Amino acid sequence: MMKIWKVLIIIVSLIYISIILIFSLAWIKNLKQISEWKTAYNFKIDPKAKISPEAQKATLKKKIQSLQPKGVYIMVDSAENKYYLKNGDQTIKEGLVSTGSGVILVDPTGKRSWVFDTPKGEFFVKSKIQNPYWVKPDWAFIEEGEVIPRKMEDRVEGGVLGDYALGFGSGYFIHGTLYTRLLGRNVTHGCVRMADKDLEEVFKAARIGTRIYIY
Amino acid sequence: MPLELKIGSRKITPSISLTILIFLSIAFILSLSSLTSAQKKTVETARKEAASTQKKPAQVKSSKELPGQKAPAANLTILKENKFLEEELNLAKKSEYYFIINLKDKKIELRARGMVLKSWMASSLRYSGKPVPLKVTALAQKSALNPPKRKMLKPGENQEKAEQTGAQPAKSEQTTSTSPTADNFELEALEITDMPGSYELILDNNLEISVRSKAKGKERIKQTKETILWYTWLPVKNYLSRKKEPNPRMIVYFDNPREAQGIYWAFIDGLKGLVWLP
Repeated sequence: MMKIWKVLIIIVSLIYISIILIFSLAWIKNLKQISEWKTAYNFKIDPKAKISPEAQKATLKKKIQSLQPKGVYIMVDSAENKYYLKNGDQTIKEGLVSTGSGVILVDPTGKRSWVFDTPKGEFFVKSKIQNPYWVKPDWAFIEEGEVIPRKMEDRVEGGVLGDYALGFGSGYFIHGTLYTRLLGRNVTHGCVRMADKDLEEVFKAARIGTRIYIY
Repeated sequence: MPLELKIGSRKITPSISLTILIFLSIAFILSLSSLTSAQKKTVETARKEAASTQKKPAQVKSSKELPGQKAPAANLTILKENKFLEEELNLAKKSEYYFIINLKDKKIELRARGMVLKSWMASSLRYSGKPVPLKVTALAQKSALNPPKRKMLKPGENQEKAEQTGAQPAKSEQTTSTSPTADNFELEALEITDMPGSYELILDNNLEISVRSKAKGKERIKQTKETILWYTWLPVKNYLSRKKEPNPRMIVYFDNPREAQGIYWAFIDGLKGLVWLP
């Protein structure tokens, strides 16, 4: 009986010590791997090099900076529904916007569908319009359960896009809105809606070719 | 008969055995902590020694492994930064956005043309496995337990249902939004708050980034379990694995769930970027 207990204690001790040993070896390897993240970038030195690394760094930074927009540009944060009118690093004006709802509209026939997302990426102001009117696309009628009109005149609706509109391609605009209470929410069909006062200032500051960053 | 062990003529009682085991455990923990501090010291002394023997600065040809001469450690920072800037320049030349994950500052940034569009500061960041090379990588997959779902509008079905029930069909927000306020208006939309707060980002260089935000209840227990496994089971698993270099893994924590949700929103599939440790 005593022998069995002794053997058991020895076995348990051996198991415990081996666990500690494996654990310590695993940790040594883990720490070594983590330290390799800092020293993984081993570079060859070219002894015939003409440019010092410091000079190369300055050149590269200058090249990257030259790619940044010159003058005024617009940033639209579609997650927070905010816009920033910027000039270099300086923010001239910021405020709330409404961007796409992300809803998918499916045509009753099932043949067509539209995704109401505000596109993300780098764009340019392609058109500047005062007192814009809305030429309603097919989805605007389908959404309301109305018949799609055949005449173009029946699609035109004025007074819903505010006083100004900035087009940035593919039918997307930064425009005004009647629904100012919904600014700050994702409610549009893809366009960017802005309050009238903000829009006026952005419209006056922007030119054709002004960059717009939507993210 | 009381339980007894003997070493020679000395009796070892169970209490003494237990004391020896506890002592061994404390010794092991102390040796581990001394190992980590020793490793940090060796890296720093190596850098200082290299700085004192530094000769002529020279241009760099980057390579992952080094068959030839190693760069002095003092130059290593600049050489690394130059490599990073070279890669960023290639990304900035294009109109597409890109991300930068700075492991030292625990910062994730969304950039375009070299300027920061948005940045997120992590409260905590851990990494393990094979080091990630300083090369452009792309987001291959976003994986979440409860991915956000888009609302589908099928006006024909709504119209039929309304006719059957005798109720008015649902109208778009454009016609009904004038009376309700923005606060209480129930939107059928995909917003940042619909994004998950915990998910995985898998890059094409096999780096798996687990993004976590402060949670309550079951999710918190899950995160605590994950942390314990990270420090206990993961090193053992990597050690016992047949792979010499286990896949890189990273875990990033945010105090504010909205930050984690914002990253999920901004990181679209195919987004390119860099992961680096300055």
